[in-house]
Amino acid sequence: MRPPNQNHWKSHLFRYEVLLLLVLVVEWLVFWHFGTTVNRRGVTVGFGTVDRQFDILRHSCEIGLLALALTPVILTAGIDLAVGSLLGLCAVIFGQLWHDAGLPVWAAAAGALAAGGLGGALNAGLIARLQLPPLIVTLGTYSLFRGLAEALTRGAVTYTDFPAGFLFLGQERWLGLPVQAWVFAGVAAGIWILVHRTMTGRALRVIGFSPEGARYAGLPVTRQVALAYVLAGFIAGLAALIYTARLGQARADAGTGYELFAITAVVLGGTSIFGGRGSVTGTLLGVAVIAVLKNGLATLPAVIRLNAAEELSGLLTGGLLLGVLALGAAPKFLSAWRSRGQSRRQPALPPP
Amino acid sequence: MKRRGREFVLAAVLGAILLAMAGWAPAFFEPAPLRSLLTREAPALVVACGMALVILTRQIDISVGSQFSVCSVAAGLLAAAGWPLGLVLPVAAGCGALLGALNGILVAGLGLPSIVVTLGTMVALRQGLNLARQGEFVNLPDGVQWFGLSQSAGQAVLLVSALLVLVGLALALRYLAAGRQVYAVGSDAEAARLAGIRPRVVTLAVFTLLGLLCGIAAVMNIVQSPQVQPLAGSGLELKVIAAVVVGGVAISGGRGSLWGVLTGLVLLACIPPALTHLHIEAYWEKAIQGAIILLAATAEGVRRRKERH
Amino acid sequence: MVNPTPQPVQPLLVFANIAKNFGAVQALRGVDFELRPGEVHALLGENGAGKSTLIKVATGAHAPDSGHLVLGGRRLDALNPATARALGVACIYQQPALFPDLTVAENLALRLEPAGAWRRVDRRARRVRAAELLQRLGADLAPDAEIRDLSMPEQQLVEIAAAIGAGARIVIMDEPTASLTQREQERLFAIVRTLRAEGVGVIYISHRLEEIFALADRVTVLRDGASVGTHAVGDMDAAGLIRLMVGRELAGLPPPGGTVPGEIALELRGTGCAAAGVGSVTFAVRAGEILGLAGLVGAGRTELARVLFGLTPADEGEILREGRPVRLDSPQAAMAHGLAYVPEDRRRHGVVMELPVAQNITLAAHRRVFRHGWLSAPAENRVAAEFIARLGIKAAGPEAAVATLSGGNQQKVAVARWLATAPRVLILDEPTQGVDIAAKGELHRIIRELAQGGLAVILISSDLPEIIGLCDRIGVMRGGTLREILPGGTAAPVVMAAALGTNEKEGAA
Repeated sequence: MRPPNQNHWKSHLFRYEVLLLLVLVVEWLVFWHFGTTVNRRGVTVGFGTVDRQFDILRHSCEIGLLALALTPVILTAGIDLAVGSLLGLCAVIFGQLWHDAGLPVWAAAAGALAAGGLGGALNAGLIARLQLPPLIVTLGTYSLFRGLAEALTRGAVTYTDFPAGFLFLGQERWLGLPVQAWVFAGVAAGIWILVHRTMTGRALRVIGFSPEGARYAGLPVTRQVALAYVLAGFIAGLAALIYTARLGQARADAGTGYELFAITAVVLGGTSIFGGRGSVTGTLLGVAVIAVLKNGLATLPAVIRLNAAEELSGLLTGGLLLGVLALGAAPKFLSAWRSRGQSRRQPALPPP
Repeated sequence: MKRRGREFVLAAVLGAILLAMAGWAPAFFEPAPLRSLLTREAPALVVACGMALVILTRQIDISVGSQFSVCSVAAGLLAAAGWPLGLVLPVAAGCGALLGALNGILVAGLGLPSIVVTLGTMVALRQGLNLARQGEFVNLPDGVQWFGLSQSAGQAVLLVSALLVLVGLALALRYLAAGRQVYAVGSDAEAARLAGIRPRVVTLAVFTLLGLLCGIAAVMNIVQSPQVQPLAGSGLELKVIAAVVVGGVAISGGRGSLWGVLTGLVLLACIPPALTHLHIEAYWEKAIQGAIILLAATAEGVRRRKERH
Repeated sequence: MVNPTPQPVQPLLVFANIAKNFGAVQALRGVDFELRPGEVHALLGENGAGKSTLIKVATGAHAPDSGHLVLGGRRLDALNPATARALGVACIYQQPALFPDLTVAENLALRLEPAGAWRRVDRRARRVRAAELLQRLGADLAPDAEIRDLSMPEQQLVEIAAAIGAGARIVIMDEPTASLTQREQERLFAIVRTLRAEGVGVIYISHRLEEIFALADRVTVLRDGASVGTHAVGDMDAAGLIRLMVGRELAGLPPPGGTVPGEIALELRGTGCAAAGVGSVTFAVRAGEILGLAGLVGAGRTELARVLFGLTPADEGEILREGRPVRLDSPQAAMAHGLAYVPEDRRRHGVVMELPVAQNITLAAHRRVFRHGWLSAPAENRVAAEFIARLGIKAAGPEAAVATLSGGNQQKVAVARWLATAPRVLILDEPTQGVDIAAKGELHRIIRELAQGGLAVILISSDLPEIIGLCDRIGVMRGGTLREILPGGTAAPVVMAAALGTNEKEGAA
């Protein structure tokens, strides 16, 4: 299904998405070719196995959820650096509610989601209502949420021994796919609908292009911006549950650095950091490119020998982000540069 | 005196905390631990000065921690290879300046948002360093720690040099045309352009200077211990930005002074020992840091709001 | 009144037959103008007559398409800002371009000191020079005051001080008294006279005729982008000046009237908003009626529209919709009560340039295309197609970005956005500004048809023939309030005189 209105920039984006899809396919084929080996017992191991593919799915769900959460925020020309920290805080709160407070697991999960929503609401209040810069607010909450998580666990407590019914969410399969992949798909569909099919999505875009223009069009700017941040917090809470279920433990350092991968996925997916432009499809492709890169590197024999998959993927992701940004800015820069050259060629003063 | 209001409030808060400590936990003021505490913050002060310049021009750099780590390891390796510190220092500073200039070119040259650019360089540098070093510590030869002096003399050297950097930059900001241009660009880049200033050049310069200061700070850091930790700079960006914002430098550019930054940094540095002495668990440090950033940002926002009315 | 007899001095600045087009819009169509040293030369004209374009040619911001200028004895085809400054042209804008975070002395220094980053700054010398300059102007300002703490007129003084300090020979003042009190005005006049005595040429733009009579030596009147004459102020009276300024008629439209207005759609009783600077506005507009709002820039017309649309909600008086009092404290509330507002700044507020035509049209009428919040693509396409056809919007298609459209078609999109909400009261703010002649005619026809269809229209326009030719009644605003309501078809000089606040009988004579 394509959006009904394919104006010229969306068709640009469409081309960009195709390009991204190509990158993904090439990446996948390369890893398939170089990362798949047959061990001594004649069993295929490495990238080209179903298990590995499911692993990629499992490992990318949390970052993918955060990227989905960030897409509406970045569409409004905002940013949320605190999603990773909030994930950690929600994981700890979940662990405490279940373990220390003795709540049933579903109630603890509801509590973690509510905590995520509340954390998002704190961002929303400061950004949408008090109109503070999103960057500095979420930098503050980035520290605050992680700090609260550390304080609640005294930096050391790790919650484990969750019931099997909960671990099912992160470690089992349902209808042939990892359970969290279904949750992720559901959220992705929800965000896609929100961004591309609802009034709110339209409003977020317009706010990203021009907040004043949105006000003059009678759109409830404060409410929509607040919604984007609250939703981001809520999804961070959900990601915390999946993270805890996947690893079977809740710790204060859960999700450290995830915000970077999430932002990179969104920007890589073609969403403009200046707001207005972007698509959920792009974000999903961006997540996939990063996830395959991260997991695929770990299957390359050379990288395994180096034992440096994590570092290499981080380095490449950072480089990828800068490269995409620079490429995106290049045309604007070139034209500005050219026009500057012209203005320098102003006629010299004739003599009096 | 209105424009110094923020610095006075801050100094008063700091004074109140110190007074409270004097009453409740006089052990805080024992000279040796206090000197160690301040010396540990000396590199952060140097970086914070550079960060203040960047924020004054309405930009931000969250890659300082990674720059600091890279420079630390580079300086450590050179020192381990037997280079004299007198040579290590300029090379480390130059290395930092290069990294800073990279950010500056991407931000000023291509007009990219500094937050995303430096997010990218932060991770690329950190992981690049991890890749190259695999988390290995660098063992330093004798005679590097405390410049080969006694501990207290080395600490004094570090404290004095950090203060020299602070005073030098503060004077430059006040008395050099270039310093005033930093304020002008942050206050209104378009008006600055009309007044014949080149905002892009100024932006590139402050990013480069910040990188250079990261390099200097890295050397100030490695001389404090017999080993160089490859993750020395992790979390530095947060501490430094918090100090700058708490110190009253407006995140919207053009306003603030380095004296405020000094006060802000000392205030933040006092939190962990204060927590210990007041028998509050140290795990609250990060949360309190975050809360302080939010408070400072809210205070500025409320002030701006009032001004508009 | 000083009125030196013209002497054969070399003029400071000459415009010879300057023309400038913006796309299809002719902003200047041949302006001749001459500024002599030691004179205050007033520039007078309706809004949109081309004054600001002319100023931008003088400061080098715009290059003229034809004609030439003579500046400092050099014949030039065009200027750039640096050259203009170097040749001694300084412009004092209504909104000073100063650094809000820096002090007066530093702001002056940044303008006056040479470039070079490694110079040592002599703060004392800066303060002394600032104090001297301010003293020359008789301005009671501390050199250490921060710009953000200064009032608008004080900031203006800093601008003037910078101009004098830079040794400007030509000082352009664009409506400098717009935000000044009587006392501040007097002080400014004294400064202008000082400048004149020092041999500076002052180009003085103002709508206030009494200022021109009090201050200027000569006056040049612009009309529709052309100069219609330069006269010694002593030879003119207010009526004569007004006659020169107006005098154009709107062609191709039948005179208003013929439709019978219906019930009162919107009524204001002493409505005002202190923050927006409008107060005690009382009028009523009926369904099927076009009420014009005439007035000068800064008279409070846009501000009133913003109050009605809930952007700066009213804090005094009453607003009634179809006889019932309503609270319009947000744009959403205003929309719910059937109001629509097509704003003045089309590019920033009227349309979203990056969005396609279709989405722009449906942006305010989301209930028609989002059923329960869900986008209905067929509904969106239908609504867009309906208005593209109805208003004759020329675009590559409903998916073309609005940025690719001409100004007139962008304006039609902005109007369509609000017609799609099926409003009962439509406020149009300068709907034909910057629009080419053909699109202007179409917009006039559309506005007339809308009123005939039973819509109550409030038309804010600085284009007098448009107001006179289109409106059933003409409200005249001045100083933030509605001064009087004239019948449609009132002679232009009468409307102009009312807007200027001069005696109307004199204006009508």
